[in-house]
Amino acid sequence: MEKCLGVISAGNLENNFGALCIHRPVYMLPYGGRYRLMDFSVSNMVNNGIKTIVVYTGEKIRSTMDHIENGRPWDLDRRFKGLILFPPITHVYTSNKYGDIPQFYSTMDFYETVREDTIFLNHPNIIAKVDLKAAFKYFKDTDADITFIYKTQNDPWGEFVNCEKISLDKDNNLETMGMNLGTEKEFNMFIRSAFIKKEVFIRLVKEAIEKGDSDYLQDAIVRNKDKYKINGFEFQGHVENIRNLKSFYDANLNLLKKDIARELFYQGGTIFTKTKDEPSTLYTESSNVQNSLIANGCVIEGTVENSIIFRGVNIGKGAIVKNSVVMQKAEIKENAAVVNSILDKQAVIGEGVRIAGSTLMPYVVEKKQVIRKD
Amino acid sequence: MIENKVVAMLLAGGQGSRLKELTKKIAKPAVPFGGKYRIIDFALSNAANSGIEDIGILTQYKPFLLNSHIGIGSAWDYDRNIGGLRILPPFTSEDGGRWYTGTANAVFENIDYIDEQDPEYVLILSGDHIYKMDYNELLDYHKKNNADVSIAVMEVPWDEASRFGIINVDEDNKIIEFEEKPDNPKNNMASMGIYMFKWEVLRKYLIKDDENPDSDNDFGKNVLPLMLADGNKMFAWVFEGYWKDVGTVRSYWEANMDLLDHNNTLNLYDKDWRIYTRSRNLPPQYIARGSDIKESLVNEGCYVMGEVKRSILFSDVIIEAGAIVKDSVILSNCVIKKGAKIYNSVILEGVNIEEDKIIGEEGDSHIYMVSDKNIIME
Repeated sequence: MEKCLGVISAGNLENNFGALCIHRPVYMLPYGGRYRLMDFSVSNMVNNGIKTIVVYTGEKIRSTMDHIENGRPWDLDRRFKGLILFPPITHVYTSNKYGDIPQFYSTMDFYETVREDTIFLNHPNIIAKVDLKAAFKYFKDTDADITFIYKTQNDPWGEFVNCEKISLDKDNNLETMGMNLGTEKEFNMFIRSAFIKKEVFIRLVKEAIEKGDSDYLQDAIVRNKDKYKINGFEFQGHVENIRNLKSFYDANLNLLKKDIARELFYQGGTIFTKTKDEPSTLYTESSNVQNSLIANGCVIEGTVENSIIFRGVNIGKGAIVKNSVVMQKAEIKENAAVVNSILDKQAVIGEGVRIAGSTLMPYVVEKKQVIRKD
Repeated sequence: MIENKVVAMLLAGGQGSRLKELTKKIAKPAVPFGGKYRIIDFALSNAANSGIEDIGILTQYKPFLLNSHIGIGSAWDYDRNIGGLRILPPFTSEDGGRWYTGTANAVFENIDYIDEQDPEYVLILSGDHIYKMDYNELLDYHKKNNADVSIAVMEVPWDEASRFGIINVDEDNKIIEFEEKPDNPKNNMASMGIYMFKWEVLRKYLIKDDENPDSDNDFGKNVLPLMLADGNKMFAWVFEGYWKDVGTVRSYWEANMDLLDHNNTLNLYDKDWRIYTRSRNLPPQYIARGSDIKESLVNEGCYVMGEVKRSILFSDVIIEAGAIVKDSVILSNCVIKKGAKIYNSVILEGVNIEEDKIIGEEGDSHIYMVSDKNIIME
């Protein structure tokens, strides 16, 4: 993996997340009690031996910079290689243009200079502990120009409508690529991770700009699929495809399942994140906690069930929290009730207040929002 | 001399033999405490929070774990280009070498290090104590009195006073007498082992002490009494707050239990005076359905299915369904199997407690220290 460069580039799905993404890009959404979505991407790359990682930050860069710092949590604060942030720049090629092609083009000098000859493209909103070493070996062994990583997803209820769908021939070469509309019970879901030869990447980006026919690299690949050898590598583990509020909520609560938590937290190496120096969590005499994931620094005096509690949360006496995601430093005062809800950072639910959403549409309390009884 | 500059020298070579199995493989400052810390984290965090930019750590006894815990000091922001943290083990030189023979000798051997920093003051700290202190308050007091040395003291219970170095002062808190572990103490003001010196004065007395072959090269026993005899200006600064020197298994257990009271005066949740430590990057703790957890402090990576009351679980501890843990301290990576019952115990790192094993009983007045080889009752 020495010769492979990791590239994290996220699309703009922020509108799908309402109040949660006013201040942050989707890949910075808090997840699993103490992480951000992107921690899983970056950690998995680092654990698989990728030494240089590029992040296209998008416009809401403040939250990204605060979290990543200089890459220290992932040991990416290197003099040689390490972490590189590419904030968006206004440029004759990028202004008023959509898509990742103009962004990639604006940083073309970088790609032309680096020594790595392979690029691993990754979309951080999809969480999957892919064995990248095995996928890279497949990419090399088959001498592919591009290898897409996909999962054969069973989807009888159409939960994965709008996800990327690919079809492959019997030799595992790409036939088509598009959007899943749920017409089949089982489909090959592209998990938006791919290996691509650097020279092919550069050519595709430049051609797309010259011809003016593609804004997105994915479109450029589909248009030119007959010119290159493109195949698929199957991933069989667990995938969280976070693309709207509901899938974000479900992905958090899925961590209460033992097998999923084991796989995402431990398999193939630990997940690194910015440390907060919180002390341990204190449970008092009145606390009652069942089936919940609790981060450090909390003081829990109430009842918590089927919930994900982030770092430094206070839950008062007599309060009840059920089926909810409670982010960092939120406060739930005495005798309040929070059911089927997502509380963003530092939200305050006042004494005796009751809030509830449904599991299909969780109630969202914005960052620093205070809800009091009149 | 750089005006107002303070260099801290942190004594971290102590063995702490009365902690028994806890310090069999590690030095006392490396002993785990309070769910996620090691004892030395308190002195290091105090120094970092007090804005001290240069700190030398004097190691000697079984330093491996301590060295890897401290690393280059990044957890305390001591990984600096200029100054920062230095680990100072004993060394050899052209005229041979020797182990540090006492607290004062450890500092004496590193006079070159301190001279290079060229400070006005040297602060001597111990890595054995659990407390939060702003060393600037001691420094201000020291400057105000234009003292040669200022010693942090605190009131201890009368019946324990004979365990400590007792300091007798006049009405201005000027020190008039030292009593090292006296049988009949004249008062109950004990030295905390925290000294702020003028460097030029300390330097002179370190050399003088080293020239005396009968000296034990100890600050409390030799250097400070020598300075007093020579008529130096020495003051006692009274500290009020939580302070513990966990000397024995029982006091170690008690100090951990102190933290279960949310209103304890150490208050680890104080955001203005954080205690920092090396992070292990573990996922959050999982509390399963059917578990019963109350009045306890639980750290990251734990998996709790059984009953936990008035206890402290360090990281990565597994409490299986049907297991009971009460009034106990369980260090990292332990597994308490189903049906096991643990009371009043300190379980050392990585110990597996077999199914249905019973240690202690409810309301027991003994403390049990459990290692993978034996159980010591105290």
